[in-house]
Amino acid sequence: MPLNTDVLWYKDAIIYQVHVRTFHDSNGDGIGDFPGLEQKLDYLQELGINAIWLMPFFPSPLRDDGYDIADYHSVHPSYGTLEDFRKLLDAAHERGIRVIIEMVLNHTSDQHPWFQEARSSPDHPRRDWYVWSDTDERYKGARIIFLDTEASNWAWDPISKSFYWHRFFSHQPDLNWDNPAVREQMWEVMKFWLDMGVDAFRLDAVPYLVEREGTNCENLPETHTILKDLRRKLDEQFAGRMLLAEANQWPADLRPYFGEGDEFHMAFHFPLMPRMFMGLKLEDRKPITEILQQTPEIPSSCQWSLFLRNHDELTLEMVTDMERDYMYDMYAASKPMRLNLGIRRRLAPLLNNDRRRIELMNGMLMSLPGTPIIYYGDEIGMGDNINLGDRNGVRTPMQWSGGWNAGFSVAEPQHLYAPLIQDPVYGYPAVNVVSQKESEHSLLRWMQRIITVRKSTGVFGRGSIEFLYPANHRILAYLRRLGRETVLVVNNLSGTAQAVELDLRRYKGNILIEMFGNNIFPRVGDLPYLLTLGPYQFYWFRLRRV
Amino acid sequence: MEDETFLTDDFLRQLINVGEVDILVGLPTHNNAKTVGSVVQTIRSGILRGFPRERAVIINADGGSRDGTPELVTGVSIDDMRPTTNLNALRTLHSISTTYANGAGSGAALRTILAAAELLRAKACIVISPESARIEPEWISNLLRPIYRDGFDLVAPTYRRQKFDGLLMTNLLYPMVRALYGVRIREAYMPEFGFSNRLGSRFLAQNGWNESGNGAGIELRFTLAAITGGCRICQSFLGEKEHIERRAADLVPTLRQTVGVLFSKLESDFSVWSTVSGSRPVPTIGSEHELLLDPMRVNRKRLREMFSTGVAELESVFRSILSPSTVGELQRIARLGEEQFQYSAELWVRTVYEFAAAYQKSVISRDHIIQALAPLFRGRVFTFLMENRSASANEIENNIEGLCLEFERLKPYLVEIWKSRE
Repeated sequence: MPLNTDVLWYKDAIIYQVHVRTFHDSNGDGIGDFPGLEQKLDYLQELGINAIWLMPFFPSPLRDDGYDIADYHSVHPSYGTLEDFRKLLDAAHERGIRVIIEMVLNHTSDQHPWFQEARSSPDHPRRDWYVWSDTDERYKGARIIFLDTEASNWAWDPISKSFYWHRFFSHQPDLNWDNPAVREQMWEVMKFWLDMGVDAFRLDAVPYLVEREGTNCENLPETHTILKDLRRKLDEQFAGRMLLAEANQWPADLRPYFGEGDEFHMAFHFPLMPRMFMGLKLEDRKPITEILQQTPEIPSSCQWSLFLRNHDELTLEMVTDMERDYMYDMYAASKPMRLNLGIRRRLAPLLNNDRRRIELMNGMLMSLPGTPIIYYGDEIGMGDNINLGDRNGVRTPMQWSGGWNAGFSVAEPQHLYAPLIQDPVYGYPAVNVVSQKESEHSLLRWMQRIITVRKSTGVFGRGSIEFLYPANHRILAYLRRLGRETVLVVNNLSGTAQAVELDLRRYKGNILIEMFGNNIFPRVGDLPYLLTLGPYQFYWFRLRRV
Repeated sequence: MEDETFLTDDFLRQLINVGEVDILVGLPTHNNAKTVGSVVQTIRSGILRGFPRERAVIINADGGSRDGTPELVTGVSIDDMRPTTNLNALRTLHSISTTYANGAGSGAALRTILAAAELLRAKACIVISPESARIEPEWISNLLRPIYRDGFDLVAPTYRRQKFDGLLMTNLLYPMVRALYGVRIREAYMPEFGFSNRLGSRFLAQNGWNESGNGAGIELRFTLAAITGGCRICQSFLGEKEHIERRAADLVPTLRQTVGVLFSKLESDFSVWSTVSGSRPVPTIGSEHELLLDPMRVNRKRLREMFSTGVAELESVFRSILSPSTVGELQRIARLGEEQFQYSAELWVRTVYEFAAAYQKSVISRDHIIQALAPLFRGRVFTFLMENRSASANEIENNIEGLCLEFERLKPYLVEIWKSRE
């Protein structure tokens, strides 16, 4: 299946997020690798996704799971070789699957040769590739992101006897993007991978590229200038490739990252995700509709990226204090479940393994405006292990079967990069791909089905959205429209059956066709359209005038 | 479940949209536009402060207001259609209104609220007076929390009142309910109160809604139903209750919906109250009572004149209601000058008990019996005012306590005359 040639391909994409290390181990060393991932591309194709997002796979001391890059031009030896990566890329493209790779622009590992050289002498030519200071008093307006581990954004370098700036861990010094040489070098890095054929970058931590005194050092105009410059080069030399922004910000602050369609193609909608969980627990659509009301229009070529869970904690930075307290109490009653300002749990455990709620959340993920991202393993309802440190509890090996090491690796279990999930509910004997493939009603089968239905129309990826506001606040209903096509989505956020009356008068004469079963529902008339929904049930209806 | 056909289709549709709730605030209204706006704003603040996570609804049962009262109530809804008013609220807050049939009446309003509470399976409910100009957000928590968190079935309010406010309460209702039912509830006729779903549903099912006219005095029936039903009752201090000036002509209607209700309930509750001796306090959160000693203008002379006139003009009525000795004593004090006038506690208690027994026997029209009590109550109030005009809060409270004990001491007399007239 060839890749489609549409430059807006990302609008129709369904992205699968995976860490090479976690997916499949082909050489029996206990660590997932590129050949292993390649072997599982058929599985991903069958699932229906058409893009994979690979987390950092570069050489790294792995003190931040690869987000501490020590070499931008190679791959970590544990995952294979550059040639292995090229093979994966080709194999994915053959299956119509695009490949998005991670690119960390903001910082490097302190083991990166650039930093080693920069710290070696104040006079070294690379000294100015990082941000140095004689004092740790500068940029006081910048918040500390990893509150649980870092006390300051400055770290003392005993070698060069000065402080260096880091917005994340202290072993991740920030690059100095005010330095033209850094800008040039980082574009060369991106070009290296684009030349190889990668389809897109997920650019990590982009709000923090530039620092300025008297600001919070986030979202600065200078940062946008840099990003626009990267985009211009991308368009000029690699048309059809895509940039995805990781900027955990409020919608209004995110909007500039799209520019006038000349900065990022896509950006994660961070504030929406916790509010979907909140709306579900409150049984109230208000948190969801409110944040989407506050979400500004974006240029027509741009797209939001939506997700339920990812490799990080369920971030609660973009919520109010009251909302955060509520989320903690509802979803992370136990302290070890909490990390930084978030909750380090997977989708299924967050939802108490309630199939109906898992389906509803995925239903919203697939039908709200944006491109959905599925975190590996969530399609089968994998669990987590909160006893593992940092965010490693949601990065355990993929559960392929109930056999040896869950089919992930033939290594001795003690050699696996992380222990398998083994508890009775989420352990691999109970939750795995093989058994779910054999069950017609498994979550995996259901995920395949919803992806198929989503892909049956362009309206979800490209259509407009209009919220209906039925008086029953437990019902989240919206119309998605694209050209002459209209789809009505009705979600019951409540754990009890609900009746709802929808004002569809302007569609009088249309019949509703339920998209999963293709069954016809009554024609829309003058009266409010009455629907009843079971607990956590949702409908997708295609409106059709007959 | 009680027959809910008295609820309109439109109201049922609104209830369906609200769905199950944790907290329900009932607001009976009838042309209360002057005060209800601030009351309902305060209710909303109270919910947001005290119960931000709970599913809540404000239910307005309106008696057909023509001054825009329902619109003021529904205007405080919090939803995603009016994002500017969201006040950092976690969830939707419905504020809905319905007009009940048959005109204004607290019974119909409470019935509507109780039915809504049952249909919505509200865990804790409160009723707030639309005239409570001094309501504070804490009132909402103070009434709800004992139900929602501590498992009480009824929360009666206590207030900070002017020393001569609520004289019917202090001189008759409180001491008589206390003596007869054995439970010390200061405000048995409650302007505001909280109740559990359990109590609400039981009362909805058991109360004779069609026999109780327009349901005047329903709040007192509710309290007595809680007591006789063995419910867990507590009191909760709310704050200062505004003094509402009443016209003299208002006394008889007030007596009907309070004393009249109490007397009629005594009949059906005889097996309960006749076996009770003494009284017990109920758990009270905050002060049991607080008095303000601000001077109040009371026309004492007029009170005594109305007493004396009443005793003279209604002699034949009194002779059919009261014992000869009581009539004789009333006639004696009616002749006394202002300084000597003394309607003693003992005489007052005997009077009230004899009225209650006469009411039970219907020696004359029951409404006439209630009307006849009015001048005597004024005489008792005159004495109370005179006794307490310079008293401290403690002294006033001691006097009220003394009256209560007198009601308890003479209770056997009531049982005796009650039985003798059977």
